Amino acid sequence: MSTAPGQGDIGGVVPSEVRELLRGQALVLQRPVWGPRHGRHASVRTGVGLDFRDHRPYVPGDDPRMLDWRAIARRDRLVLRQTESEDELSLFLAVDCSAAMAYGEGESNKAYIAGAIAGALALLAIRQGDRVGLALGRAGDIDASLLRPLGGNDRLSAIARVLQRDEPAGLCPWPRIIGRIAPRLARRSLLVLISDFLDPCGHAGEEAEAELLRGLARLRARDHDIVLVQVLHRHEVEFPWANRTMIRFEDARGVREPVEGAGVRLRDGYLARLRSHLDRLERTCERDGLFLHRVVSDDPVAEALVTLLGRLAGSPPVRRPLVEGHP
Amino acid sequence: MTLLAPALLLGLVALTLPVIAHLMGHREPQRVRFAGVRFLEPVERVVTRRRAPRDIDLLVARLLLLALLVLLLARPASVGQTSVAVIAEPHDAVVVVDGSRSMGLEVDGASLLVHAGDRIEALLDALPAGSRVGLVTSDPGGPRVEPAEDPERARAALRDWIERGAPRPGAWTLADALPLAVSLLSPAAGEERKRAIYAFGDRTAHGLGSLPETAEGGIAILAVPAVEEADLPEHVSLDEVSWEQAPDIDPRAVRIQAVLRRHGGAEDGERTKRPISVALLVGGEEVARTVVQVEADTDVQVEFTHQLLDGGTTFPATVQLVDLEDDPLPSDDRRHLWLSPDDALEVMVVNGDPSELRAHDEVFFLGTALSASESSTSMHVTSLAPDQLEQRIREQGASALGDVDVLVLANVRAPQEDVAPALVGFVERGAGLLITVGGRVEAEPYNARLGAVLPLLLREPVVVGTAPGRKEARVEGIAPPDLSHPLFAGVEGDPGLSGTRARKIFLLDPDPDRGASIAISFTSGAPALVTRDADLGRVALLTTTVDRDWADLPLRPGFVPLMEHTIAYLAGARARALGATVMVGQPRTVEADAPLEVETPSGRKISIAPDRDGLAVFSDTYEVGHHRVLRADGSLVRTGLFAVQVDPAESLTRPLPLTRRELEGERKNVSTITPRWRSLVPLVLVLLIAEVVLRWRRRRG
Repeated sequence: MSTAPGQGDIGGVVPSEVRELLRGQALVLQRPVWGPRHGRHASVRTGVGLDFRDHRPYVPGDDPRMLDWRAIARRDRLVLRQTESEDELSLFLAVDCSAAMAYGEGESNKAYIAGAIAGALALLAIRQGDRVGLALGRAGDIDASLLRPLGGNDRLSAIARVLQRDEPAGLCPWPRIIGRIAPRLARRSLLVLISDFLDPCGHAGEEAEAELLRGLARLRARDHDIVLVQVLHRHEVEFPWANRTMIRFEDARGVREPVEGAGVRLRDGYLARLRSHLDRLERTCERDGLFLHRVVSDDPVAEALVTLLGRLAGSPPVRRPLVEGHP
Repeated sequence: MTLLAPALLLGLVALTLPVIAHLMGHREPQRVRFAGVRFLEPVERVVTRRRAPRDIDLLVARLLLLALLVLLLARPASVGQTSVAVIAEPHDAVVVVDGSRSMGLEVDGASLLVHAGDRIEALLDALPAGSRVGLVTSDPGGPRVEPAEDPERARAALRDWIERGAPRPGAWTLADALPLAVSLLSPAAGEERKRAIYAFGDRTAHGLGSLPETAEGGIAILAVPAVEEADLPEHVSLDEVSWEQAPDIDPRAVRIQAVLRRHGGAEDGERTKRPISVALLVGGEEVARTVVQVEADTDVQVEFTHQLLDGGTTFPATVQLVDLEDDPLPSDDRRHLWLSPDDALEVMVVNGDPSELRAHDEVFFLGTALSASESSTSMHVTSLAPDQLEQRIREQGASALGDVDVLVLANVRAPQEDVAPALVGFVERGAGLLITVGGRVEAEPYNARLGAVLPLLLREPVVVGTAPGRKEARVEGIAPPDLSHPLFAGVEGDPGLSGTRARKIFLLDPDPDRGASIAISFTSGAPALVTRDADLGRVALLTTTVDRDWADLPLRPGFVPLMEHTIAYLAGARARALGATVMVGQPRTVEADAPLEVETPSGRKISIAPDRDGLAVFSDTYEVGHHRVLRADGSLVRTGLFAVQVDPAESLTRPLPLTRRELEGERKNVSTITPRWRSLVPLVLVLLIAEVVLRWRRRRG
């Protein structure tokens, strides 16, 4: 167990400049939510607020206090006045803490970026009174101790502690994580999965990967918002080993055979297959209504977060080429 | 086969190094823990621990290379036991080395001379202590080392001589080098030591085949062949080239004939044919090429026809064998000559008895014969009267006859006293002179004025059959001629002179000291046509008339060829003005009145000075190719173009059987070490290149 300073403090996960930036931001979804309690997100249900939404005919059993007398006078029949309601949001964070996320140094470390994004989203949600649950996949196992969504500073501290607690290791069992989270999703929850999504199912193959995405699509069909935050390192995008030096590439998760060769001979094939994989992922997400947000290690985390929040709130996506010269 | 440095075979242990290197010498690649391994296509199998060496072909090349290098350093050599017998007691010896061109034949990657050098080294090592050894070569420019107790002097001189480019063309035969060796072995007064000459060479007529069994003074000669093998590699030589004008094709056309010979090549008694390419180069550019099939040990003649370009008078030409890179004796693969469209023989006929009636004219038959002969196209015949000749000589001196190659005095009265010395000098400087007698020829003035060059002195004309006791025959016939006389070179069978009847002949004074040779004689034994070399020139004397006055010789079918051969023989004294060829080592004489410069093929300029007779001799003819003799102002001397050729006799490499002489008294055999490592060197180079190429291909991946 790590004993890094600031453990349990969200400041150890989310850099200060990001926290400063988030001070004026809010986690707002484009679609209304259905929370068990009153919150600050537009709800699909009518409520007891002040903002008028609609009239509807009176049926026996309705609360007579909700009768709109002026409207009854105009229409000569009984109508009820309905007002907008605001519910709280259930945010589920699923973070890949496999060894693949350990790539990169300092602020370009993928796990660091993933933790910062997860911590920032948790901070925003809890600050605005939403409930947050967290599942962590690491070393082939699931840390589901914080899976039940709760609000409050205790939950934030717990999340910060869990995110800082262990170094990335092993692989992240995505199908099992989804299997654990899915029954706990209340109506219209927000599920954010943070990973590199380069090889989410390891040697189980592309079929398992497609099945994982189909599972997410089914959750989306149940009116949950599914967000895939893909954290990539610049090296993974551009493959900078372009000389004749012999390099032995070992799978960080330890599930694939190592590959050895001169970078220059591997590069073109790698880039082509990566491009194909990313395109396929984009197309699948677009088709199934999943929300894919891609973050590259040298992008500032704050900027990436603002973009993500904007897109959650309904801003159109800004497409940028991952690699110069590759659209 | 043995190894001179067997200890170095321990180096074979080093063969394990490449194997280990190929097993373990794999550079540890940079390790990267990467998330996108699934997108990497394996280009090489990742081997964590090698059980079999990688890059087998590279490993094999390296192992072979290393093994050969070790073998090379261990110096494999074959040891012969019987080839050199050495007198076992201390003695005086001279090593005579054949420096003729045939010693350049490549056998087993080295020339015969190098092989001979190895054997000489073995001999020098084996000489008993107290022996003295000297060195002589058959190369005129080769080393001479007086016998000395230290064999190192001879060894160093030999090594130096070989490094300077021996063998070169123009060497003497080994027999010619013997007197020099004998002179080096002349014993000191009162000294009684055994003497021996060890002759090293090939078994050709120029080499060991020329040696007698003993040298002068009873010195034993021990012939040691350069190599023991009886089968030497075959080679092809260009033995002769000649040319003539071809006016039947074009006034500027020439025919060039070459004879090439394949020496050896008969395999198991089968005479297989081999295609040989021959090219003609004129002015340095190839103008024609042909391929001929040459059987083993046979000659083949090749003929080129070429039209010389306008605007030039002389053209250097070369006939050479091409695409013969593997010829073991390349020095005879090319021959040089000068071509000229207007190179004609100048014949001046002095008519001593002209007549308005053509058939009675003294030179009517001679002129007709010369114009009808096969070589008439290359002959300019001019005719003049004796007075005109004398007048011209008086006016112009010796240069009056400067362009004339052959002068014919046909029934001319003896030249005047003031003119005669010019004629004598003219002949002695290399011209030809034909004298035919007749009614105007008087013995005494002729003998007095031209006696210096006459083959035999004239005595008197006699009418045949009037001699005392000779009444039955009124005419003389011609005896069968002596075809061995150089005048009849190329003539076979009956020369067509039988049946000639002479009614009157000029008798000559027999004088064996004059060196005259009789080409044709009458049936009575009296000479009919007698020749003699007069200094550089040649003179022929016909003891009857060249017209029908005294004999009916002109009516005989052999008259035309006889005159043609006679003129050609006389002209041969002065080598043809152009197209002259000189064998390597033979001097070239040119007429000169001032110092001249000879320009050699390599651009060297050598000055030669004329002697009192107006002749300059250039004797440094060891460089093969086109030579030019220039005056001080750079203009060309008339006879100043000649080409130096190698002697075809030196191309003969077929071994002659040698009778080996047994040594008297004590003797011991010497182990001759023939190095075999030289043939490994090209193999090592090839492997080295292969290794570099394989490594480069690996790197390029």
